[in-house]
Amino acid sequence: MTRDIFVFVEYRDSTVRKASLELLSRGRQMAGKFSSSLCAVLMGSGVKELAQTLKGFADKIIFTDSEELKDYGWDTYGSALEQILKKYDPMIVLGTSSMIGKDLFPRIAARMRATMISDAVGMDFHEEGVKVKKPLFGGKVVSWLAPDAASMSFITFRPNSFAVETADAQGEIMEEGLTIEKDPRMKTVSLEKSGSKKVDLQEADFIICGGRGMKGPEHFDALEEIAGLMGGRVGASRTVVDSKWREYDDQIGKSGKTVSPKLYIGCGISGALHHIMGMDTSKVIVAINKDPNAPIFQYADYGIVDDLFQVLPALKEELKNTREET
Amino acid sequence: MNILVFIKQVADTEARIIVSSDHKALEIENKYAVNFFDEFAVEEAIKIKETHKDAEITVCTYGPARATEALKTTIAMGADRAFLIDSANTEADDPLVVSGYLAGFAAREKFDIILCGRQAIDDENASVGAMTAELLGIPHVSMVTKLDVIDGTGVRVQSEIEGARKISEVALPALFTTQKGLNEPRVPLITGVMKAMKTQIPVIDPASIDTPFGPATGGASKIKVLSYESPAQRPAVRIIEGQTPVEKAKNLVKSLKEEAKVL
Ligand SMILES: Cc1cc2nc3c(=O)[nH]c(=O)nc-3n(C[C@H](O)[C@H](O)[C@H](O)COP(=O)(O)OP(=O)(O)OC[C@H]3O[C@@H](n4cnc5c(N)ncnc54)[C@H](O)[C@@H]3O)c2cc1C
Ligand SMILES: Nc1ncnc2c1ncn2[C@@H]1O[C@H](COP(=O)(O)O)[C@@H](O)[C@H]1O
Repeated sequence: MTRDIFVFVEYRDSTVRKASLELLSRGRQMAGKFSSSLCAVLMGSGVKELAQTLKGFADKIIFTDSEELKDYGWDTYGSALEQILKKYDPMIVLGTSSMIGKDLFPRIAARMRATMISDAVGMDFHEEGVKVKKPLFGGKVVSWLAPDAASMSFITFRPNSFAVETADAQGEIMEEGLTIEKDPRMKTVSLEKSGSKKVDLQEADFIICGGRGMKGPEHFDALEEIAGLMGGRVGASRTVVDSKWREYDDQIGKSGKTVSPKLYIGCGISGALHHIMGMDTSKVIVAINKDPNAPIFQYADYGIVDDLFQVLPALKEELKNTREET
Repeated sequence: MNILVFIKQVADTEARIIVSSDHKALEIENKYAVNFFDEFAVEEAIKIKETHKDAEITVCTYGPARATEALKTTIAMGADRAFLIDSANTEADDPLVVSGYLAGFAAREKFDIILCGRQAIDDENASVGAMTAELLGIPHVSMVTKLDVIDGTGVRVQSEIEGARKISEVALPALFTTQKGLNEPRVPLITGVMKAMKTQIPVIDPASIDTPFGPATGGASKIKVLSYESPAQRPAVRIIEGQTPVEKAKNLVKSLKEEAKVL
């Protein structure tokens, strides 16, 4: 029996994030191949019921429930994770390259002197261990990296890297009672939750993104309606964010977020390299631009050359119709 | 107050990058710049110095000789001194190895605040900041968008976390990674550029640094690059036909549904 494969599970509003389910799905195939067990690690305050929902996805669900873990902090979550890792000594720890993943994983990987590969998009087998697919230079190059199979590896993946497969495992639920250590040098003064129920931009399956061609902030309502219809999110180019038409949270590209939805629709976006770098791993790319020579058409699968203000209302109607049919 | 800034010289986003025919190496066009997010770190250090007159700004990178150029840019912006830990052209694929050298350097210098970028735009790891803080045993805050030194002993920062904005107070010494929005990096003045041209950048032999793993040899890379590939080329775009915008929208949705099967 080889060492376990761990998945650090993230959730939001008492629902496990899709990205974590993706990792559990891929992790299951890996565990099968290595004949190791797949273990979901869940921590927080009041997560007992949430642990139950993971039963079908893993062989073991280790959770720790503590008031100290109500809000995320690398010190408290790290303290819990460290204790669990030391106890079980897994081979691989999988996580999402979310803000928590980017903050917690390197900190604890360094503590464990583990190998850390972040922001990957694929994973396969290599000799005794795994190999990981990771884009470099904003997607200009793709690399395959092999973490040392003998040491513990931490690997984070972009959301939408793997398909979610429902499994019918009968995972054993195990509670770990831990003493959580808080770093006295850190003090939270305030935590202002945005309260938005919108899906996370990086996790959205559908993104409709507006550029300077949208002409002004008021026209983004049309995009919001379409995103709402599709259960997706509105994105923006940097020009739009710099003009204060949209929040920085919406920015896609080199200096914003990297997204890979199933469907990306760019409206009035020229397709500057800095923008492309943030979205070219999308499964299907659509561009709507009145300029047939706009660079975005070099990256798009489908293009409409026309005035976006004429196209958007019709697009909304069409999408609505297909939604109603299905 | 001693401020330490870690910067990385990275290939410019415009630089041409070619994968070698055996898929083992990259040929990068000679266009390099200070990492986009690190400019915010340098700028913030200078802003702290402007209000705390006793502050000194030290910049350091682990990289090849060409990275001296990037260090000079930070001197031109207003940093006081800069050091190159010579990577002797070995690629630093393992962030823990890089963090080991940086932490070793920081431990032998005196510092109160360490600033680094949120992530390097070449490897996009977003790992070196938190790792270095851990190796030094100091607290860190990621993706800081506002930073105020309260007095000599603490800092109040605003940072972005999932779906929320957090304000925290952190005791010094501490490390912060910088995010867009923190400030507007200045363009060096000609006097700064002159000063940078005259500045000698000391080169440090990594073997002389005591890393948290012991001497440098203790921290060999545990990540092996198997191969590089060019990204899969997308097929040429299909421009959707139609007499009117409405017809085009209709045909697009049809294609997305029947051909691409994403609806
Ligand atoms: C260091 C650095 C980092 C950067 N990071 C990012 C980043 O993260 N994200 C990002 O997006 N950019 C980034 N940029 C900026 C990037 O280079 C471009 O300037 C930006 O993406 C352009 O935005 P845009 O496409 O909205 O605007 P434009 O380039 O002005 O394009 C507008 C497009 O709209 C079309 N249009 C106008 N009217 C209509 C209409 N009625 N119907 C249809 N089409 C219409 C036009 O034909 C044009 O193609 C960065 C730049 C630098 C230097
Ligand atoms: N080789 C390096 N030398 C100095 N600083 C670095 C180096 N690599 C990364 N950093 C710093 O760590 C940040 C995060 O880098 P990364 O983890 O590589 O994405 C960068 O923005 C730099 O501030």
